Amino acid sequence: MRFQNTRIIIPITAAALAAAHGMCSAVEMQKVNTHDVFAKIGPLLERRCFECHSHAHKIKGGLALDSRSGWEKGGESGPALVPGRPEASLLIQAVSHVEKDLKMPPRQRLPQAEIELLKDWVRQGAPDPRGAGAGAELKTTDAWEAEFQKRLDWWSLKPMRHPAPPRVQDAAWAREPVDCFIKAGLETADLSPAPPADEATLRRRLALVLTGLPPALAAGGAEARSSSSAEQRLESWVDALLCSPHFGEHFARHWMDVVRYTDTYGYEWDNPAKGSHEYRDYLIRAFNDDTGYDQLVREQLAGDLLTQPRIHAAARTNESLIGPMFYHMGEHRHGSSLMFNGIHQEMVNNKIDAFSKAFLATTVACARCHDHKLEAVAQRDYYALAALFTQPRWTTRGVDAPGRNDAAVSRLKELRSAIRTEMEALWRSRPPLEAAQLQAWAAAHKNALKGVGAPLAAAVSAAEFSKQKAQWQKLHAAALKARADYTPARLDEWVFEGDGLVHGRTEEGTPLVALEGAGVLARLLPAGWHTHALSSRLPGSLRMPPEHRVPGTHVSLRVAGGEFGGHLVVDDHAFQNETVAFYTNARPEWRTFADAVLKNGAQQVAVEFCTAPLNPNFPPRTGLVKGMKNNDPGYDKRSWISITEILTHDSADAPPDAQEVFSGLHEENAAAPEEAWARVAAWMNAAVRRWCDHQCRHGESELLDWMLQQGLLCNEAAPGSRLAGLVAEYRRVEGGIPFPRSVVSMDERHAPAVKYPLNVRGNVDATGELIAPGSLRMLGSRKVSDRLALAESLLQPEHPLTARVYVNRVWQWVFGTGLVATPDDFGRLGERPTHPELLDWLAREFIREGWSTKKLVRRLVLSQTFRQSGTSTEAARERDPANRLLSYMPTRRLEAEGIRDALLAVAGRLEPQLYGRPVSPYRTAEDDKKRLFSGPLDGGGRRSVYLQMSIMDPPKILTGFNLPDLKLPTGRRDVTNVPAQALILLNDPLVHEMAQRWGRQMAQRGAAEGADRRVRVMFERAFAREPAAEETWRWCTALETLGGDTPEGWSALAHALFNAKEFIYYR
Amino acid sequence: MNQLEMRHACGRRELLAGASAGFGMLVLQALAGAALPQHRTTRARAKNIIFCFMDGGPSHVDTFDPKPMLKKHEGRPIGESAVSKRAQSGAGRVWLGSPWEFRQHGESGLWVSGLLPHTARVADHLCLVRSMVGELPLHGQQNLLLHTGRILGQAPSFGAWVSYGLGTENTSLPGYVVLNNDWVPNGGLENFGSSFLPASHQATMVRARGVPVDNIAPRDAAAVQRRKLALLAAQDADFAARASDANAIEAAIANYETAFRMQSAVPQIADISTEPEHVRRMYGVGSADEHQRFYATQALRARRLVEAGVRFVEITCPSFDGNNSPWDQHGLLKINHEKNARITDQSVAALILDLEQRGLLDETIVLWAGEMGRTPHTPKVTETCGRDHHVNGYSLFMAGGGFRGGMAYGETDEFGNSVARDPVSIHDVHATLLHQMGVDHEKLTYRHGGRDQRLTDVHGRVLSELLA
Repeated sequence: MRFQNTRIIIPITAAALAAAHGMCSAVEMQKVNTHDVFAKIGPLLERRCFECHSHAHKIKGGLALDSRSGWEKGGESGPALVPGRPEASLLIQAVSHVEKDLKMPPRQRLPQAEIELLKDWVRQGAPDPRGAGAGAELKTTDAWEAEFQKRLDWWSLKPMRHPAPPRVQDAAWAREPVDCFIKAGLETADLSPAPPADEATLRRRLALVLTGLPPALAAGGAEARSSSSAEQRLESWVDALLCSPHFGEHFARHWMDVVRYTDTYGYEWDNPAKGSHEYRDYLIRAFNDDTGYDQLVREQLAGDLLTQPRIHAAARTNESLIGPMFYHMGEHRHGSSLMFNGIHQEMVNNKIDAFSKAFLATTVACARCHDHKLEAVAQRDYYALAALFTQPRWTTRGVDAPGRNDAAVSRLKELRSAIRTEMEALWRSRPPLEAAQLQAWAAAHKNALKGVGAPLAAAVSAAEFSKQKAQWQKLHAAALKARADYTPARLDEWVFEGDGLVHGRTEEGTPLVALEGAGVLARLLPAGWHTHALSSRLPGSLRMPPEHRVPGTHVSLRVAGGEFGGHLVVDDHAFQNETVAFYTNARPEWRTFADAVLKNGAQQVAVEFCTAPLNPNFPPRTGLVKGMKNNDPGYDKRSWISITEILTHDSADAPPDAQEVFSGLHEENAAAPEEAWARVAAWMNAAVRRWCDHQCRHGESELLDWMLQQGLLCNEAAPGSRLAGLVAEYRRVEGGIPFPRSVVSMDERHAPAVKYPLNVRGNVDATGELIAPGSLRMLGSRKVSDRLALAESLLQPEHPLTARVYVNRVWQWVFGTGLVATPDDFGRLGERPTHPELLDWLAREFIREGWSTKKLVRRLVLSQTFRQSGTSTEAARERDPANRLLSYMPTRRLEAEGIRDALLAVAGRLEPQLYGRPVSPYRTAEDDKKRLFSGPLDGGGRRSVYLQMSIMDPPKILTGFNLPDLKLPTGRRDVTNVPAQALILLNDPLVHEMAQRWGRQMAQRGAAEGADRRVRVMFERAFAREPAAEETWRWCTALETLGGDTPEGWSALAHALFNAKEFIYYR
Repeated sequence: MNQLEMRHACGRRELLAGASAGFGMLVLQALAGAALPQHRTTRARAKNIIFCFMDGGPSHVDTFDPKPMLKKHEGRPIGESAVSKRAQSGAGRVWLGSPWEFRQHGESGLWVSGLLPHTARVADHLCLVRSMVGELPLHGQQNLLLHTGRILGQAPSFGAWVSYGLGTENTSLPGYVVLNNDWVPNGGLENFGSSFLPASHQATMVRARGVPVDNIAPRDAAAVQRRKLALLAAQDADFAARASDANAIEAAIANYETAFRMQSAVPQIADISTEPEHVRRMYGVGSADEHQRFYATQALRARRLVEAGVRFVEITCPSFDGNNSPWDQHGLLKINHEKNARITDQSVAALILDLEQRGLLDETIVLWAGEMGRTPHTPKVTETCGRDHHVNGYSLFMAGGGFRGGMAYGETDEFGNSVARDPVSIHDVHATLLHQMGVDHEKLTYRHGGRDQRLTDVHGRVLSELLA
């Protein structure tokens, strides 16, 4: 009742008066009735709804109720009323408070009487005398447009300026242009910079900022040259640190926070995120190699679309293809989008959030339910990105450098061909099978006379044989006839990935060389694709187009597979699902896939046939794979699949089996004898002969393979023979093929255009318009064709956000707080830059210098600003309490990883090894169902960046010191200060083990070296400085009370040093 | 207050909380006189909450919501009209009657099934809700909804909010304790996290077996530890003097004093050997079944923690087999629901009675809830069949803390398949529990991401019908 508005009541009252005076015609009578019915509704709407839905106040959700046209047009969800049908009217649903997401007024349900009144009104056709003009007409789209234009007027969306470093009074202080900007800020506030830090403090600060390790280990072997001047020493120290491989580890970890890095997918089963460590190592290499940030943007957003991917010669990887794993960090659900609404929407939301925060410091995810409340981001923008990101398949890509296996593959092909030639000669040299011989064999092998061997069973009686033969013939004819309804699939939109598949095309009867045992051949393969045709180390994935793109309602594939080869049905990108099948059949069998009914806003169902390394859901959750232990992480698996036929059809039945293998039996061939055993022998001999002549008929390999398995074909190489040599060589070459490396990435090849349904008010059950892929309109144009175009649009040199956002992050990594203190939000809820000109100057320099992180970092750490000590003045504390002007360098706590790494480093336990698979953190309890296993207490000495980041149970020692939530992009970590941290350092077994290790080393140095000398060594190692005399005395005295010059005493001292604040803080 | 100033203020608040009270919030409350108590209402009925989390989803139609129609129609297809997206559902599924008999209990005549004979004995204390409605029939989402008020999580746990809003009355103990069994529930440890609230409000996990809390057992003799702390005091004082931010260093130093106290306080509370034998027996501490022993130990510890002033105690169920979560009986409903009941039933009832006998039940709310119910239907009635996920009408109860005992609120339809009357959301339950603790759920907020965040997001109604 706050807002009294009589505008509407007046005409009603006037009409009522007219009626009372009995002066109305029939038409007027009608009007009066309208007014009568509306008489109570008008005030009700005004009282209950206008505060949020009128032009006088707000037009929430685009809905205005102060005119007839207002509800007729309705808001974002469409017309508010259906006259005559209260049950179909959104407004009635809303006031009834039945749907959780549609409750109006939101706080308090209206009294039932008022709801009934509204229902009656609608039932009567919702007469509304107010017409179109009662409220000021303003289309909501126009309203948004005006608002949008207004919102573009914001510092971070405006072009970067070309600021010159300002002139400062004390020009001598500045070493770098950066310093001029900082100094100017200080002069404006009438503050002076702190004096420079001493060399030891600076060396420790530099080591920790650049590598996250204490100085003794930071440079990774690259020793600083001993130089004469302090300045030279400093510069060479900086250069050594920048060249240290530990620089990449440390800076990659920073970026991993930003992209919500995780090694597992959390939720219910904490499944492994396939190839996460490849992505982590890719980042480490990129920072160490100083790969341009522009390239990293391109690769992480669209590395799969680059025509010239970046190949890393040493790592032998296709780096560009690893980049898009950026999208697949964070949590992933296992539910099917078709079974449960909300699955794909949540996953897309996570990606949009990460993309917009990481690269643009913009909170686009806020526009999932409505146009952004504060920024120039429309709800359409959100869904345009959703469409862009769901256009490609989210699936595994092999990331080995192209051609890595080429030499081995061509050698194996040569060898296979040579082996075949030898086998041809061998089999030709053997006498053909004879009827009597077969008869005797059959009598001795009764168990084998099934399937392909059935004719041998039938041959016992001539009558039976004729009957069976006729039956096969009939089946064959019927099958051929029925086959008319089955169409071979056109494969032009199917994706063939992986050397196994690419080199796995076989003709009928291609031999599969045995990789072990006495036999030469393992199998004779039917025509088709066999990923293991050369080696089961080679990966393969056949990706069917989305079901609805494949003609017919069904598609059937004749498939075989083993060793975790199988297929995965992906309901709208939810690849962590439970519809994963692992094949255990060597003989290809039909698998039929019916088109699923798309619902819940899902746009596609995709099926992938893949070997384990290319299966994004391998290993799946525990319990889904037979024959695999829970503690098997699924690395380095041989695996294979075969696909021999692909047919599309409309009937639900799998294609009938044509029994082609028996064709040779019932052919009316003049040469074929009539006697049963002779005919069987002729059937087999003909097949062998045709194989030797490279003229195998379709289906014949099945017979040949059966004969091979049954020992009816010679399969042995004479010792020392050429054949034996060839087989040995084949096995040697095959064994030398490395297992494939793969990550979850993107595959946009043959991807059909996708539109993503807008969710009205973010409600997944209320799908609205289908939105085409696009970018954010505030960045210029929404039009981008694909993710690569999106990436390139971000990399335009004049882009207002990309470089600014990144240099701000780097500034924060170096100085602790960004020039914009909210690195993930440059919008209205974020903070404004303290030094906007400096931010622009740095961004422009950064672009000019080729988007080089190292050059930027070098510039920052060599600045006078960075070299300041931590000495603060009274004036600074008063006028700039948060030190945003940087009148001194703040004392900072090490990050979680830094603390654990320092423990290892100081105790001499740190392994300098780079890269590799995640190391299970130490756990006090395991849960093998969720693969939460415990690793060694000290993690094998590996740096913390290599510990397994499990969403479900992250390393405890790290979470204790503010490892961020692994589900969410985190541009800036919290730094809390709680007793649990004291408990870790006091009592954690790792801290004690490292203390004992270090203490033993100190004790071993022996009494010849005085305690004071050893205390000095410890100080240098832990704090990178010499102890003051008083400190030496203090610690030597303490040693006496803690056990004296014994391993126990020194361990106690080491433990105390770990607990000193100086150990976890640096100045 | 702009964000910068606010962060600073929060930092200071946290520092002080850390500096003088550790997890304790006394100083915080005193300091924040203006900032915090605005959410406090004048009348708090309860001081503590014990949340018995029935992880996995106990079946409502086999515990508190009798549906004779299920037996009558057992084996018949449920039909298209009974299909719901708030359950694992399909028209071809068939109704499944309860394997347990329901009887009326106590003066109130509340219906409880034979699955929970001990809980049935305290029927007159139970304030049942039979019309809970969740959002998605999936464990992860529902767990996070139950704990954080959001299916996506990324928000503080209920216990963290209570700790933040009310603080603890014991400076050596945390405000939110989870009595766990080394079992990470679906949705992850985030269920117990503090998210954007200060880290001191996240749950301290207490284990049933072995050392109850990580790093709580001192590895040094007390005298040695004291000597080390003395050495550090001098060393750190020097460092603090040279550091640009002495406050943070001093707070970190002060944390060592709190940590030192916690080393004795926490194990003391966790040690139930001092409890009289009849109390231990009442809870089932001596059970031959190790899982029941764990649960009984934790239930008894819960009472001790509440007595010691911990605001929010949560007890999780031990996981005893390959199930995804303890009560998640997609199959073997009879056997494994009975196993879960055997593990928890006696201790829950004992906890309620014990609290009553000590006069603590009035000020302590016992909340018994899973994250979902179970479908009244199954794919096929067999010996080993089970029930699947269902959030469209399920049951939970509160006892004590000013809730009306012996009542049932809300109804499901005659098959227990959907809510028929008075739907209740988790937000409503959260709002009501906070209300009983003297907190207005709309006013207990924390500024994060540009919004004043609440446990109940933008939802929640205080269910005054449930209150005595």
